[in-house]
Amino acid sequence: MKDHKKPDHDTLRGWLSLAAAGALEPEEQAEVDRHLGACEECAAEFERWRVLASGLKRLPTPQPSAALVERVRASIVAATAAQAEKRWNQGVLIFLVLFSWTLTLAGWPIVRLATHGVSSWLEVGFTKAWMDLIGYTALGWLTAGVAAMVLTWQKRRERRLA
Amino acid sequence: MAGIAEASWEGRVGVDADVARLRKGDPEALGALLERYQNRLYRYLLRLVREPATAEDLFQQTWLRVAEQVKKYDPRRNFDAWLFTVARNLAIDHLRRYRPESLDEPLPSGESREEQIPSVAETALERVILQERAARLTDAMGSLPAVYREVLTLRFEEEMKLEEIAVVLDAPLSTVKTRLRRSLEGLRRKLESQGPAEDWR
Repeated sequence: MKDHKKPDHDTLRGWLSLAAAGALEPEEQAEVDRHLGACEECAAEFERWRVLASGLKRLPTPQPSAALVERVRASIVAATAAQAEKRWNQGVLIFLVLFSWTLTLAGWPIVRLATHGVSSWLEVGFTKAWMDLIGYTALGWLTAGVAAMVLTWQKRRERRLA
Repeated sequence: MAGIAEASWEGRVGVDADVARLRKGDPEALGALLERYQNRLYRYLLRLVREPATAEDLFQQTWLRVAEQVKKYDPRRNFDAWLFTVARNLAIDHLRRYRPESLDEPLPSGESREEQIPSVAETALERVILQERAARLTDAMGSLPAVYREVLTLRFEEEMKLEEIAVVLDAPLSTVKTRLRRSLEGLRRKLESQGPAEDWR
């Protein structure tokens, strides 16, 4: 709508609705203001747009019911709690995985020492050693799984009671 | 004028503080934002979808989406524009999915829960006349396509700047101006076809 030429009557008349909506650029608005002072026809037309714009600004405001607002508030609290629980569960899972691996790797030499003595370090039969490691790892994971199940059960119970 | 600017600045600071608290996971902050924006957001959604039940559903979905996505919100952006964009996206999804054929359907009369904003009317008669005019205007507005209803409510009811509307609509400023002009022309045509101009002036 920016035009370096001076806008004519028809152009300015076409801008009147936007002028009433306060949507013209300052220089366009200045042109309109100047024109309205000189053209009665456009002044009358602008008045009609102005009244319409004013009516739109004063329309009744529909409001949400108090029950809806309360429902939304409750659902936000529930959703926030669910998010927090999800984050907590993810944290617990990560901790259990790290704990299991740490336990497995750190405890393995001790288990080997306790079950096979010092001579086990000189053993060349890797198959049995690997079988032991797998069994030991499975035991670690089983422990972690049981711990996770217990924690989940506890959380569900807490949620039921809340 | 200085008072208005001060109140607006304080409001802005209040919103920023609530948003910052919400980003830290404080659910109370969302309650404060809900209180601050509930009327504006509900009005916007109702103008867009025209059905109170749908507007209520979208209102709830919008706040849940805000709670989920507030960490993605850039605090340097205008929160109003972001909030209305979230609501708009949900409304558009709904309109596309459930009633693409009814975008131009006239607004059913007799909406509930509408409350008159403080009026300048001095007498009961003037109040009735104003209410009737407002009802005619609301009906005429409801008969416009959704894109026009939307730009009218954002400009005149939300009193957003054109630049803010452009952000919400994700459209260039020129498109916003064109839509605004067409929506006003359409609204006036509709009102004039319904009766003499004196009835809505």
